[in-house]
Amino acid sequence: MTANLLSVRDLKVSYRVGNGHIDAVDGASFDVPRGSIVGLVGESGCGKTTVARALTRVIADNARITGGQILFDGKDIAAIPERQMNALRWRDIAFIPQSAMNSLDPVYTVEYQLNEVLRRRGGLSAREARMRCESLFEMVGIEKGRLRDYPHQFSGGMRQRVAIALALALNPKLVIADEPVTALDVIVQRQILDQLRELQTMLGISVILVTHDISVVAYICDRTVVMYAGRVAEAGPMAGVLTRPAHPYTMGLRNAFPDLAGAASGTLTPIDGAPPNLAEPPPGCRFAPRCPFSIEVCSTESPPLAEIVPDHRVACHRASEAPVLREIAARTETWLAHA
Amino acid sequence: MSHLKAVASRTLQLALVLWAVVTILFLMFRLMPGNPMAAYIDPTFTVEQQQALMAQFGLDKPLWEQYFIYLGNLLQGELGQSFRYREPVAERIFALLPNTLILTFSSLFVAYAFGILAGAYLAWRRGSAVENAAIPLVLMTRAMPEFWLGMVLLAVFSFWLGWFPAGGTRPAGADYDSLWALYTSRDFLSYLALPALTLAIYSQGLPLLLMRSNMLDVMKEDFVTMARIKGLSNWTVVVRHAARNALLPVMTSFAIAVGYQLQGNVVVESIFSWPGLGRELVNAVSASDYPLAQGAFLMIAVVVILMNLIADMLYALLDPRISHA
Ligand SMILES: Nc1ncnc2c1ncn2[C@@H]1O[C@H](COP(=O)(O)OP(=O)(O)O)[C@@H](O)[C@H]1O
Ligand code: SF4
Ligand SMILES: [Mg+2]
Repeated sequence: MTANLLSVRDLKVSYRVGNGHIDAVDGASFDVPRGSIVGLVGESGCGKTTVARALTRVIADNARITGGQILFDGKDIAAIPERQMNALRWRDIAFIPQSAMNSLDPVYTVEYQLNEVLRRRGGLSAREARMRCESLFEMVGIEKGRLRDYPHQFSGGMRQRVAIALALALNPKLVIADEPVTALDVIVQRQILDQLRELQTMLGISVILVTHDISVVAYICDRTVVMYAGRVAEAGPMAGVLTRPAHPYTMGLRNAFPDLAGAASGTLTPIDGAPPNLAEPPPGCRFAPRCPFSIEVCSTESPPLAEIVPDHRVACHRASEAPVLREIAARTETWLAHA
Repeated sequence: MSHLKAVASRTLQLALVLWAVVTILFLMFRLMPGNPMAAYIDPTFTVEQQQALMAQFGLDKPLWEQYFIYLGNLLQGELGQSFRYREPVAERIFALLPNTLILTFSSLFVAYAFGILAGAYLAWRRGSAVENAAIPLVLMTRAMPEFWLGMVLLAVFSFWLGWFPAGGTRPAGADYDSLWALYTSRDFLSYLALPALTLAIYSQGLPLLLMRSNMLDVMKEDFVTMARIKGLSNWTVVVRHAARNALLPVMTSFAIAVGYQLQGNVVVESIFSWPGLGRELVNAVSASDYPLAQGAFLMIAVVVILMNLIADMLYALLDPRISHA
């Protein structure tokens, strides 16, 4: 048994658009240890959803996995035939989408939709499925009387709990949650995240939590993978990455989000500009156009993802100067001056 | 409670629409220039005879009084006397209505069953050679004039192959114990086949294209993607989720199609000498038989309005977002 439930190696996913293509994920590598929550964080458009969906191999019509390996339980699931992949779906790898409203079929009750996976995918009998539905609802804290309700009859937070129940239905090893709390207000966000953490610990499963909000990562994740423009900028244990970030992008993100626990941590400073157009990514480091610390080499050579301290990887030419850069980055003017 | 209120307001709305239709029909035939009975008044009639005739049909009274008499009669199911047949309009219309309804619903049933299945299939096989060949074909059936299609079917299946009779509803001289016996006889079905097929071919394009485009939209919905991530079979994804959702608007379009079809019937009923309301309406108008024309119009309007109500109820039944609001 490998220590990592999932190891993504040099993953490449590209979208065909018109005559060209967008390399939305361009060589991403990261690990998901067993029994941990890994936060995949980055601004909108950085390729997080593309990575998440590539792991299920249910991708857009115009998308293609063009390279790399997805080692799940030691087996490269990027290379297995579709039939074998389909057998893994939901039984081993489940998914919690951003909007449970749109991801639940409006014309069926939630019980129908739970039964659908329990019976069609899990092979449970009608009786077993009914009991499982009730225990799943108990797990996520919804009274079982509501099983007969339709998706639109639930509040946003409740629907997200239904989505969690649905994801846990077949005891998967890995749950991928794509922005599971983004649409909710902060109080409900915390409740849902607490519940997710509790269930993850209880069941000993692994979770990939995709979010644009670094405070969500700080709140429940064990590890962090920071993505920028289709590549991994920094990855490692949550505490190491967030308290001692070594990539200027991570430093910037940390300044840009309020603390989920409610503590006011000074003024918020957004990173000026936006991620690059991936149809024509800038040469060298993709963060260079927005980076307050960029030097000459940054715009010609792409920095490799290298381990700076054990288990903490960074892709930045100036990673060795991280302690100094962190101090400069903590000052608001750094980000304003650059703009 | 809110349910009851919705039904009540809907009923009130329908009553208002019906009242408006009734009033427009009344005015349409009264306000036309000239004596409404001109075609039925022999020029050799004396003035007294003419007035007696007008009085017989109530046309000597002031307009507002005629209107209230007309409304009162309608409430009692009284549609007046046909100028031409000199018999109650209601009797005539109720004798023809079943023929029209049978033709309309049987052809629409075929058209919708085919259109829904074919539309879903084409959406599923999007971009395939089958789809590329089928879409222009469907557009062609939409563009073909009904009378032309009817004539072609008539020429091929009736005159040339001799599989089906050319017109009417029953063999000459055939007699049936009851209307039920007629409508369930094999003869009737063989008479129904060609006109119904003509209408079905003419109308299948709407549900087909609608179903296809709804399917294509629904296939992009998150819940369809999720169904795939759940590892459900293609059949489950396409039929139970995509098609089931895409079906909703198609069902509503059925009501609109009935209205359309009742117009379309005029042509097909004429080609196949099908004794229905449409043909009678045309005849009544060209013979200036206003009470009959008015009655036929009204009947068609009532059917359309009822179908709208049925479509609403059906939609509510099929869409839990409405039935479980
Ligand atoms: N179906 C698609 N076709 C073309 N480009 C796409 C498609 N889906 C996403 N992209 C592009 O890929 C990039 C990454 O998108 P996404 O993975 O959704 O990012 P994130 O989840 O981090 O916001 C973006 O530039 C986006 O515009
Ligand atoms: S490589 Fe250069 S541009 Fe990129 S993050 Fe590091 S310092 Fe900034
Ligand atoms: Mg996303």
